[in-house]
Amino acid sequence: MKRLLTLAAGLFLALPAIALAADTTTTTSEKKFDPSDEWTLHEWIPIHLGPINLSITKAVAYLLLGALLSCLLGIFLMRVKTGKDPDRKQALGEIIYEVARVQVAEQGLPTKAMRTWFPYCASLMIFIWVVNMIGFIPLPLSDEKVTIAGVKVPTLAIFAATSTLSVTLALAFMTWMFTHVEGIRANGVMKYLKSWIPDVPKALYPLIVPLEILGQFMRLISLSVRLYANMLAGHMLILTFIGLIFVLGNLTVAVVAVPAAIAFYLFEVVIVVSIQAYIFAALSAIYIGSAIEPEH
Amino acid sequence: MSALSIVGAVDGNVADAGKAIALALGIGLGSLGAGIGIGNIFGSMIQAVARQPELRGELQGIQWLGFALTEAVVFYGLIGGLLAYVLV
Repeated sequence: MKRLLTLAAGLFLALPAIALAADTTTTTSEKKFDPSDEWTLHEWIPIHLGPINLSITKAVAYLLLGALLSCLLGIFLMRVKTGKDPDRKQALGEIIYEVARVQVAEQGLPTKAMRTWFPYCASLMIFIWVVNMIGFIPLPLSDEKVTIAGVKVPTLAIFAATSTLSVTLALAFMTWMFTHVEGIRANGVMKYLKSWIPDVPKALYPLIVPLEILGQFMRLISLSVRLYANMLAGHMLILTFIGLIFVLGNLTVAVVAVPAAIAFYLFEVVIVVSIQAYIFAALSAIYIGSAIEPEH
Repeated sequence: MSALSIVGAVDGNVADAGKAIALALGIGLGSLGAGIGIGNIFGSMIQAVARQPELRGELQGIQWLGFALTEAVVFYGLIGGLLAYVLV
């Protein structure tokens, strides 16, 4: 059974390569290969409300899928009958809960804010992990079409919604807004704004105050760019290595390029995906916690 | 215009090739610092765990936090380099 599953997974992973190979025989003459084409978002279902563009693009499709999967993950793992001997499913759910609680939420949140903000941090972690993870599973959600038995189906491709800046910026903006709202709610406006400025001699204020205000906005940038750039760089590395075969038009490059791409793929899946989800949630908890209870 | 033709030199486009070299140099030098930083973090972690193995669980959270914060520095360089490459 296990061997059969491994075989099926291996075949599934090999499919994009076959599809790509079948595809290139027809399209290489038409256009040049450019890895950055993967990140142009075509409007699949255009929805325009005045100046607001709410079209369904590749990133939106991945986000919706990620939201659905993280809901299902939560329902599947957390709905267990208590009182029985814990099975493997319950153990996995408890591990995830413990990581979210001990490693993420308790890193930053004070005990009194735990009830309100632990669900937010935990869902951030699970959602980002799921979105990152489905970004590395080849899914038939791409702009290129391949004809299989007369039917045009999208080719299998890897793409993470978190490797577009707008997605991560929206997530970071949420945390950033909650930070200030909670800070003001817990401390009052003036006291909260004063807590931004550290204990320094009054003469240094003209230097420190603009820096601290800038620092608050830099959090927004650093939080979003960290996740965005990590996922972008991971996909770009894999794509560039595989793409080298087609750019140079030489099949012997594959001897070096494919193992390198596989190595980066494994590095991303095993380490980067989980670390980035963890770090985003932990930093959110730390920011919100430090706004509720400033150090002085 | 190709945003990431690292092999731009193949086209015979010297300006693109120069930009590609600058991008690679920038990211390469940027990753130098982060490499030293990440090495420091894991080195200190090994020392700490060797001295007090019972603290491993607590230290691991801080270790990964530090790892991600340090690693992100490379990506600021990458994004800056890509922006300069595309815009200039």
